[in-house]
Amino acid sequence: MYSIVSTAIVCGIRSVLVQVEADVCDGMPAFEMVGILSSEVREAKERIRAAIRNSNIRLSPKKITVNLYPADIRKSGTVFDLPIALAILAAYGRIPQEYLDGILFAGEISLNGEIRPTAGILPMVLAAREAGKQVVCVPRENVREAQVVKGITILPGESLGQVIALTESYFREPGKYKPDMGSNIEETAEKPQNADVDFAAIHGQKVLKRACEIAASGRHNMLMLGSPGAGKTMAARAVATILPPLTEEEALELAKVYSVLGMFGQREMNFRERPYRSPHHTISLAGMAGGGTVPKPGEISLAHKGVLFLDELTEFKRPVLEVLRQPLEEREIRLVRGSGTYFYPADIMLIAAMNPCSCGYFPDRNRCTCSKAMIERHLNKISRPLLDRMDICVEVSRPALWELTNSQPEENSALIRSRVARTQTIQGERFAGSKILYNSQIPPSAIKDWCAMEAEGEKLLSESFERLELTARGYYRVLRVARTIADMEGAVKIGRAHIYESLLYRSIDRKVWDWE
Amino acid sequence: MSAKKEAYNKYEYWLAGIAALPGRKKIYLENLLGEAKRLYCMPGERLEQIPILTEYEKEGIRAAKKKTEEDLEKELAYCRQKGIMLAVWQQDTYPVRLEHIYNPPYGLFYRGKLPDKEQRAVSVVGARNCTCYGQTVARQIGKGLAAADILVVSGMAAGIDGAAQQGALCGGGSTLGVLGCGVDICYPAANRELYERLATDGCVVSEYPPRTRPLALNFPQRNRIISGLSDVVLVVEAREQSGSLITVDFALEQGKDIYAVPGRISDLSSGGTNRLIQQGAGIYLNMENFLESMHIFAKTEENSCKKQKLSLENLERLVYSCLDLTPRNLESLWAETGLDLGRLVETLGTLQEMGIVSEVFKNYYIRSDTD
Repeated sequence: MYSIVSTAIVCGIRSVLVQVEADVCDGMPAFEMVGILSSEVREAKERIRAAIRNSNIRLSPKKITVNLYPADIRKSGTVFDLPIALAILAAYGRIPQEYLDGILFAGEISLNGEIRPTAGILPMVLAAREAGKQVVCVPRENVREAQVVKGITILPGESLGQVIALTESYFREPGKYKPDMGSNIEETAEKPQNADVDFAAIHGQKVLKRACEIAASGRHNMLMLGSPGAGKTMAARAVATILPPLTEEEALELAKVYSVLGMFGQREMNFRERPYRSPHHTISLAGMAGGGTVPKPGEISLAHKGVLFLDELTEFKRPVLEVLRQPLEEREIRLVRGSGTYFYPADIMLIAAMNPCSCGYFPDRNRCTCSKAMIERHLNKISRPLLDRMDICVEVSRPALWELTNSQPEENSALIRSRVARTQTIQGERFAGSKILYNSQIPPSAIKDWCAMEAEGEKLLSESFERLELTARGYYRVLRVARTIADMEGAVKIGRAHIYESLLYRSIDRKVWDWE
Repeated sequence: MSAKKEAYNKYEYWLAGIAALPGRKKIYLENLLGEAKRLYCMPGERLEQIPILTEYEKEGIRAAKKKTEEDLEKELAYCRQKGIMLAVWQQDTYPVRLEHIYNPPYGLFYRGKLPDKEQRAVSVVGARNCTCYGQTVARQIGKGLAAADILVVSGMAAGIDGAAQQGALCGGGSTLGVLGCGVDICYPAANRELYERLATDGCVVSEYPPRTRPLALNFPQRNRIISGLSDVVLVVEAREQSGSLITVDFALEQGKDIYAVPGRISDLSSGGTNRLIQQGAGIYLNMENFLESMHIFAKTEENSCKKQKLSLENLERLVYSCLDLTPRNLESLWAETGLDLGRLVETLGTLQEMGIVSEVFKNYYIRSDTD
């Protein structure tokens, strides 16, 4: 007998529907599977055999053939266990084919017949909805993930036997099962973000806080330069808390990335929160950019629409940092493999921190004994092109004790977030109809239109251009940051004060050590 | 002492280039044998009989003897091409001051113009890893000495040495750098600009022949030449156990005056200079006072007047008064002035445009020279 069951496979962060066909006939007992299968799919054979037996279903020895199509896509992953098992049972006549029609099945099966969670459920469910399916059967642990997709009925699978019963029940009384409207994801949208870190917990550090707010408002990349223990890491974490929540569309895109990696659990409770990723500096190229023969997303995509924080920037391997350059421009990362080209979203706000010298205490000569050459060597570990992408560079020093013990209340993240949101609204209105969202993305060609200066400001900037030996890129950076500072005040034109402040945060693009 | 030599010959050049042999033994040998050529031509067994030479020194001479006359000619041609000259013992150009020190160099390789014998000379030395304070003071001293037409002798090293010599060049004065490597090598490489200017407007000297690498063991020895070439040694910034104190030891041995620039007792980088003061070194407070102690009464009034001419607005004065020669970061300036950030930043910007404040490191500011 012949049967057919729908499932799906993940390619990049998209998903493609796959059909599982099974045929059972008399002949030499055998179990054949075809359709370019990777080893984990081929191993499904053993798992399914044991799972069916352990679900108290006895099958007579027959020749079983299973085909997965379209045959031109390489099938990998463990989502095929459940659909293959069901297709075989249907082909044996143990489940009527009509119970399975119109439902998308996905899930890994253990030897005792239990259904285990798998990665990539969210894109699969989205693909199912696009293909017009209204029902999906996913592992119980993945139900919340599937619920992100609105208007689809979800059947939670626990074990093989239970799924068979569930499909029968659904077939007989479909009215008992209501499509989900994504309610629980809406609930988490309002929850407080990152409750463990807040700007209110950072005492003193006014310059740093101001720089953080500007960076968050205009989505500028930021580099912090300071001695160990100055609070760079804490500030970076806090920046994530002052970014306005994700829009639903953004959140869904981000959730797909996490789903592909089987990490949806991390987004489940804070669906609308901006991600904050801080990979350790030993991270590999594949870990940062994404990798594998069928590439999985890397840290840069996990930080999509949020903050990627690189602590100890100088310790990262050079290629790992250089790989960031293209995504920082294009806001997505393109991975080309033999099997095809994969696009992952990578629209990040980069925050980096580093010590001013290898011991970390420069310019405090009582503690730092690094020579000028050593300091230059240390700073030269960061390539110029990467520095060129850092709009804001700020010095961070250890707060004094009186600042730490000061009991005066500091502004909390929620208050700052509301200001950031207001500044971003101004930008949104300005850039309406164009492809960009934030000041940091203004291309040089549009600088004139969007960064209008008052006469005094313009004069100051041209003077500073000479005095500070700014490069063309440095000039644009100063203007973009000044635009954000002006937006924060609601000023239409960039004034002298805005330029002055912007110059303060200019990158370490010329001689860092400037004593002579 | 025999009559002064007119010019050096290639054998003297050869003798000057033997690194294994200290200067005083070269001079002794030359006096003993009459001329350097005799040592060069001396058979091996006779060399063995010279009593004052150690085995290491004999080995050094034997190794040097392997150079043929053509090799020497080639080296001399290289020196001519690079503009490197040599002043050997007993030659007219040889600095008189060095004749009286213990273990004088037999020959001095130099580029540029050796200083006038009558000119007063002060060596300004200090740490390579100096603070902004040290750097600024060294520069001012260099300028001040230049104004008083005093030669600034130093080691052309990073930090204090380089700053003092740059100051002297800025002030249009004369300065001399004593290197621990061949005079055709610029060490440290970062001082390339200074090196070139010294080679044209000042002088770089070394007792080591051209192409000698900057070996660590050369540097303590060159310090005796720094102190030997000057009348006074002025230490700007030195930690305790700093290499600059070696220069001081030589200077004491040679009977030179020592002056030190005081620093805060909490600054490690002034630990050595403060200790010198405790041990009886002269205290450098300002140029006028220092020159007086050298019995030079120079016209420095115009310099001191200049500073008071600054006319600052209230806000600018407030910010300027918070700054000194120790770098202060924006955070602490903000806390101290109590201004709002915009005003503070604007004021700092104006002061920087006026050139009286400079940003020495990311968001760190100091007062800078007004002249």
